Amino acid sequence: MENLVLVPVFLPLVTAIFLFTQRNLIKESIVNIFTLSSSVISFLITSFIFITFTIEKFESYSVVLYQWTESPKIDFSFTLDGLSALMLLLVSGLSIFIQQFSTSYMSKDENYRKYFVYFNFFVFSMLVLVMSSNFLIMFLGWELVGLSSYLLISFWSSKTSASKAGNKAFILNRIGDFGFLVGLMFILNTFKSFDFQEVLHRANEIPVNTITVITLFLILGAFGKSAQFPLFSWLPDAMEGPTPASALIHAATMVTAGVFMLVRISPLLQYSETTSFVVLVIGLLTALISAFSAINQYDIKKVLAYSTISQLGFMFIAIGVGAYVAAVFHLLTHAFFKALLFLGAGAVIEALHHEQDIRNMGGLRKKMPLTAGMMGIGTLAISGIPPLAGFWSKDEILASIFSKGGIYLGFWALTLFAAVLTAFYMGRHWLLIFNSEPSKTIEDIHDAPRNMKVPLVVLGIFSIFIGFVNTPFFHGVEKLLHITLEEVEITHLPEGLTLVVLALISIGAGFAGLFLAYLIFSQNILQSKLFNNDGFKKLIKFIKEASFNVLYLNKIGNVIFVAGAKLFSKRVAVIIDSILIDGTVNLVANSFSKSAKITSSSQTGLVRNYVLYFGFFLIILVAVFIVTPLVGN
Amino acid sequence: MFEVTTDWYLSLAAVLFSIGFFGMMIRRNALIMFMCIELMLNAVNLTFIAASKHFGTIDGQVAVFFVLVVAAAEVVVGLAIIVSIFRKQSSASVDVLNLSRG
Amino acid sequence: MVEFLLFLVPASLVLIGALIVIFAQNPVHNAMGLVLTLISLAIIYITLNATFVAMVQMLVYAGAVMTLFLFVIMMIGVDKKEQSKESIKGQTLLVSGVLLVLISLLTYVAINSNFTWDLWFEAVQFDIEGTPQLIAGTLFTAWILPFEIISILLIVATTAAIALAYDTKKRKQHV
Repeated sequence: MENLVLVPVFLPLVTAIFLFTQRNLIKESIVNIFTLSSSVISFLITSFIFITFTIEKFESYSVVLYQWTESPKIDFSFTLDGLSALMLLLVSGLSIFIQQFSTSYMSKDENYRKYFVYFNFFVFSMLVLVMSSNFLIMFLGWELVGLSSYLLISFWSSKTSASKAGNKAFILNRIGDFGFLVGLMFILNTFKSFDFQEVLHRANEIPVNTITVITLFLILGAFGKSAQFPLFSWLPDAMEGPTPASALIHAATMVTAGVFMLVRISPLLQYSETTSFVVLVIGLLTALISAFSAINQYDIKKVLAYSTISQLGFMFIAIGVGAYVAAVFHLLTHAFFKALLFLGAGAVIEALHHEQDIRNMGGLRKKMPLTAGMMGIGTLAISGIPPLAGFWSKDEILASIFSKGGIYLGFWALTLFAAVLTAFYMGRHWLLIFNSEPSKTIEDIHDAPRNMKVPLVVLGIFSIFIGFVNTPFFHGVEKLLHITLEEVEITHLPEGLTLVVLALISIGAGFAGLFLAYLIFSQNILQSKLFNNDGFKKLIKFIKEASFNVLYLNKIGNVIFVAGAKLFSKRVAVIIDSILIDGTVNLVANSFSKSAKITSSSQTGLVRNYVLYFGFFLIILVAVFIVTPLVGN
Repeated sequence: MFEVTTDWYLSLAAVLFSIGFFGMMIRRNALIMFMCIELMLNAVNLTFIAASKHFGTIDGQVAVFFVLVVAAAEVVVGLAIIVSIFRKQSSASVDVLNLSRG
Repeated sequence: MVEFLLFLVPASLVLIGALIVIFAQNPVHNAMGLVLTLISLAIIYITLNATFVAMVQMLVYAGAVMTLFLFVIMMIGVDKKEQSKESIKGQTLLVSGVLLVLISLLTYVAINSNFTWDLWFEAVQFDIEGTPQLIAGTLFTAWILPFEIISILLIVATTAAIALAYDTKKRKQHV
């Protein structure tokens, strides 16, 4: 019975291997049958597991496949608890609809079968990651999702930009993985175990400084995977991959692995105020930078990518203030509405024959009413308009920050500003695509086909209603997680009137952002006489430039790291290589050849000289015998 | 005074060895040099046998056999070399030979 | 006294023979000097109770090896005068230097030890006879491995001598 959890984990792997080996399987419909039925089966089993799990009061249990190592004891095992059950349901549920969408989006692609191989492989990797019962299996899943993400980003590898983007994602993730790995070594050294249960239960026995060091390395891994501030530039580039893959990997699931991991280690994390503060600051910085960067992007998917980074920043903020439930809740709602937005963007891209520049779009509302409507729902949800999903989770995060008081009020204000920016750029996004006048007419536009419509509608419905699972009136997610996080002190929401006021403020923020977007991009307020002076135009131009170039962070990074590294390696090449290494080698070689020349002159080849040498050594021998006390007293 | 002890034999061996060594240095005919080597080897043999008597064991005399065999092998090879050198340059002088010069 | 003479006479013959070996100008004389040395040594061996070794010395050295020497002398001729002028630069000087140092060292040692050898161990009071039984008994038991190795050495030396003496040029002309 308990072994049933293995089915949804390994079924995608089996499907992937099966599709991989069936090279002659050219017909798309047959591939569809296999991949869709496998994901439907795994979703049904997952639902069954989840319902059983709920009935049995969320008691977690583990399934050991085999014992990997003896000492320290590491099992290849999976755990079902509140957190992993939620992620399991989320991943397998989303994967059905996104696969259905993919069957339409990817059709006529020459590597159709390969796409689903990668896709199923990703689902398997992600499930290994979330179901893992110890740090090592988690790291295994962590690396596997990195690999499958790389494969999917550079799926159209004939495009240089796609393969470069894949490399960039992989390399930047390596930096994070390095931190994760070092953290794992520290954990093994400190706890002599990798098991979550054991490590997390013994967290209070360990000095705070050790925990700070461990968690600081671990969060570096989370920053890499979840595209946080120093390591975020791979995610916008990752949009080179197929849009449905982006929807699943770079919006809904994989990038939230960092959040998942931090929630998983929250028993450790809660003891280290330093690490929590770092997480909070980095999350806030990321949320602000990427939200600001999103307001002047022109690629339909890049806007969403920056938005994803920004929303991940919100989750990190929540973790930083100790609101782990709020983080998981936002992860859940974000997965739905961001997947919806990505799939909507995919539908638009498909309808416009792979046109991605939103300046060339506009006025699509009449031609694609369903897509426009669903994207509208997604936009409202992410902007935090009640009663849609985003409102509940974002409001919970904001309220959690506020309830900490003190300096956190400043962070609350900044987060609120990020929320306003979110509403603003999402409003702009929708208005530019669906509302404003088309700047270029594209013929032959039709609304999404049936296989795209169904996922859009389903995700749209979820985006509206998923927020109700964890409202101030019904703490669904918190109940689900209460055993997993029973040793963790969770920041709770303020009570009564404060909560209502905070909710009103965050609703206000959402509406303010959307209204601003409406004024600027629908009513063209900037063109009106009110703002017709040079100073203001310059300011707008500056903001636009800075936003488009992501605050010039990439350029700064290039100057510091790329140019710096080039200069450094040139210096190294000259000093270390040619002088030190070559010099040493040449010195050794030269000294050998010179000494050989000197000593070989004694080799005259004349026998009688050799007899002389014999005489010399005879003298030495006799002298040695005289000097040493061996002979004669 | 006239009792012949092991010292006498050892002194004789030392003188014989020195003569052989001296000859090695002053002569340049390869054949004579070989004879000098024989002298030195015989000096060694003499010490072996004197020691054998001194210690009352037979092993010294056994060692002489090994020296004898090595000397024989050396003479055989050495003389063959001399012959083949002589074929080339019709002189047994070693001073003109420096093929193995470093 | 007889013992003393039995040492002194062969010993002087050994040294005379050795001096002939290094100073005589005719190779045949050198060879004869060597024979004199070897035979005198054999006599000394007999006085040292090493009768079997003495016999082998006579047969192998004075007989076989010397015959070999004489054959080679006959092959390359005796009439060639050894060139008397020193051709190696500094050889004379170095030789005299080495000899001088060696002699002075040895003199120092001899004076230092009052012209006696400190042999560390007293001479045994009994005599052993170097009979074939005794030698063979040791040689084929305790020394069997060196014995086998030395036999391999002899075979290799014989082969090498044949290979060296084999004149490939002439052989080719015949064929």
